[in-house]
Amino acid sequence: MSFLSRLAVKSSGFSCIRRMSVYPQHYAEPVVQKNKQIEQKSELAKLHHVPIKAAVNKASDTVFHDDTKEKMVNYITKKGNSALARSLLSKTMELIKRTQTEHMNLAKGDDKDKINTNAETLLKQAVENCRPLLQVTAIKRGGVNYQVPVPITTKRSYFLAMKWLLEAAREKERKVSLPEKLAWEILDAAHGQGRVVKRKDDLHRQCESNRAYAHYRWS
Amino acid sequence: MRVPSALFAARGRAPQNEADVPFQEILPLRLKNTVSGKADSGNDVACLQEMGVLFACLKDNEFVEKYCHKEISQFQNCFKCYMDRKFEAKKTINQGIVQPGNNLNYKQLNKYMRRYPNPL
Repeated sequence: MSFLSRLAVKSSGFSCIRRMSVYPQHYAEPVVQKNKQIEQKSELAKLHHVPIKAAVNKASDTVFHDDTKEKMVNYITKKGNSALARSLLSKTMELIKRTQTEHMNLAKGDDKDKINTNAETLLKQAVENCRPLLQVTAIKRGGVNYQVPVPITTKRSYFLAMKWLLEAAREKERKVSLPEKLAWEILDAAHGQGRVVKRKDDLHRQCESNRAYAHYRWS
Repeated sequence: MRVPSALFAARGRAPQNEADVPFQEILPLRLKNTVSGKADSGNDVACLQEMGVLFACLKDNEFVEKYCHKEISQFQNCFKCYMDRKFEAKKTINQGIVQPGNNLNYKQLNKYMRRYPNPL
């Protein structure tokens, strides 16, 4: 039904719709995860006669798949060499695991259980800790550039967090490898310390000191 | 010898000859059949109050976020609502539905005026 109404809207529009190499709007998103397919069975039944987009080729239903990790691999990649990026990230995860296990073995008594040795959750925790709430954009008013605090979308906040983590990791001496430094930064950020968390706090401070300009923004 | 200026002032200044200054139409003296979309795009500042509350809380707690959960979620909800509303509005505009009323946006206005253009 909705499909028919969409068709009607399209044909009644004044301008003709440009055909581009993207899926038309009535294509449904694919659901790759098996458990989600079972969960949304009744909703998916409605899609019997609706065309569905092809799943992206790296979509996977394994327990090892994680969106944060996938994104991180994409950000690490240089010149399309994602195989290298993937190996770098897995090396990072290994190093995190090793350090945390070492800490756990050195700890005594109750502290032993408190130490998180799951590298994946540590990465997620680090990204969560680095996410900014706001950012500043330069807006020109009366010939003067003002740094105006503006809210950001969730997606961008995740992007910035991962970008900052990676920038901090890439700022190193030549002898240190990227996985080593990245593991270090991730562990620091997961515990709410380190340069990346400080960078986020600095941004918040800058936003706070420029709050008087907040009404300049056009959002 | 200087003539006292009061003499001239009493007579007044002679009016200019109209033939000397022919009228020039610098801009066309009729309205265009379109309006620009500039005014609609700007000046939509949202969530200023929530932002102020958030800043106050952050400053009180030395920028530690875990003490400001309520303020942060309020601020983010506000921004999300605002973006959703904006998105929906854009969608209805792009559908090309023109409802009669006084708050038409520029696209709808242009559509109207294209139908009834200014006679040349």
